[in-house]
Amino acid sequence: MSFFLRRTLGAGRNLGRAVLNNNQYSGLQRVATKTDQATPQAETRPTVAKFDPLQKSQLVDFGKYVAECLPKYVQKVQITAGNELEVLIPPEGVIPVLQFLKDHHSAQFASLVDIGGMDVPSRQYRFEIIYNLLSLRYNARIRVKTYTDELTPIDSACEIFKAANWYEREIWDMFGVFFANHPDLRRILTDYGFEGHPFRKDFPLSGYVELRYDDEQKRVVVEPLELAQEFRRFELSAPWEQFPNFRANPAAEEVVNKSEDQPKKE
Amino acid sequence: MAAKQALRVGTKTVRPVLSLNQAEARSRVLNLYKAWYRQIPYIVKDFDIPKSEEQCRAKLKEIFLKNKDVTDIRVIDLLVIKGQMELKETVNTWKQKGHVMTFFKPTEEPKPKDFLSKFFSGLD
Repeated sequence: MSFFLRRTLGAGRNLGRAVLNNNQYSGLQRVATKTDQATPQAETRPTVAKFDPLQKSQLVDFGKYVAECLPKYVQKVQITAGNELEVLIPPEGVIPVLQFLKDHHSAQFASLVDIGGMDVPSRQYRFEIIYNLLSLRYNARIRVKTYTDELTPIDSACEIFKAANWYEREIWDMFGVFFANHPDLRRILTDYGFEGHPFRKDFPLSGYVELRYDDEQKRVVVEPLELAQEFRRFELSAPWEQFPNFRANPAAEEVVNKSEDQPKKE
Repeated sequence: MAAKQALRVGTKTVRPVLSLNQAEARSRVLNLYKAWYRQIPYIVKDFDIPKSEEQCRAKLKEIFLKNKDVTDIRVIDLLVIKGQMELKETVNTWKQKGHVMTFFKPTEEPKPKDFLSKFFSGLD
């Protein structure tokens, strides 16, 4: 009997601890939502990234500085995920903005980490091209985002970053975005003779063709594939809530927004 | 520089891919066609494909005529660019015999069109 009592007591204590923990977490979250609070509480959980207000203020200042230096091209500067600086530019500004970020003495983003692509078919300019830059000198990263559609070419960044060569080939292969003045634009991931661009949202999951070895032909043959696929609706938001901890946090905080008078991107 | 000038499509002003007008796009298409045409004897020889030059020329014409109704200059330009890349892959023999033979599709059965053949193939 006493054993049972102890068990229940122990459970109650555990329950109490869980409630305490919950309280602690919600308090931390409140701190995280209001980043401009005077005394942000120090992050103690070992698995959660430490928030660095100094780094963030530096990034905000740098974002404002970039927007002041390049008023023609910078449409918006924002900070996502707490400390990731993003500069949103129109497609004609790729070369000047990247050149500025690479060569300016207080930027020195001399290393192109990656070029990414994104396809949102509902937008007027459906593709987003994302340049991730790293400044080894100042230990900082910046992200430059631009937009395009299927037919509008984007200037190749190869003359600024040699690393852009293969990344742009990848974007061309996967999304079909054409890069003007690229020295050697050709496929990089797909097979010769492959048709279509697999990362486009309207590319079917099963592809258009299937390959098999044909005994009579003594080679691999390509045949069109017919699988019934329902019309896909591009419902990008899920019906359930994915990140309840970030409910109050907007994904991106604006630092500078100049796109009020210009045609909006989204 | 061609890329700096603007191109009008419908009511919009857009950036051209390569060509600024219909005539320029047309000449690019013809140049690509001629380049493929002149390459055909070498393709037949290099890849040792079981096709004659005449058959290859007919196929070339068929592939080009598939897009004969495309009118947008930028779409034509992108098709020309892709055709140019295909040609380069063929000339440099990055492609293999199987890749070249996929143009001919010898194993593909034509889709049944009339009632009886649909019935025989088990479609409705």
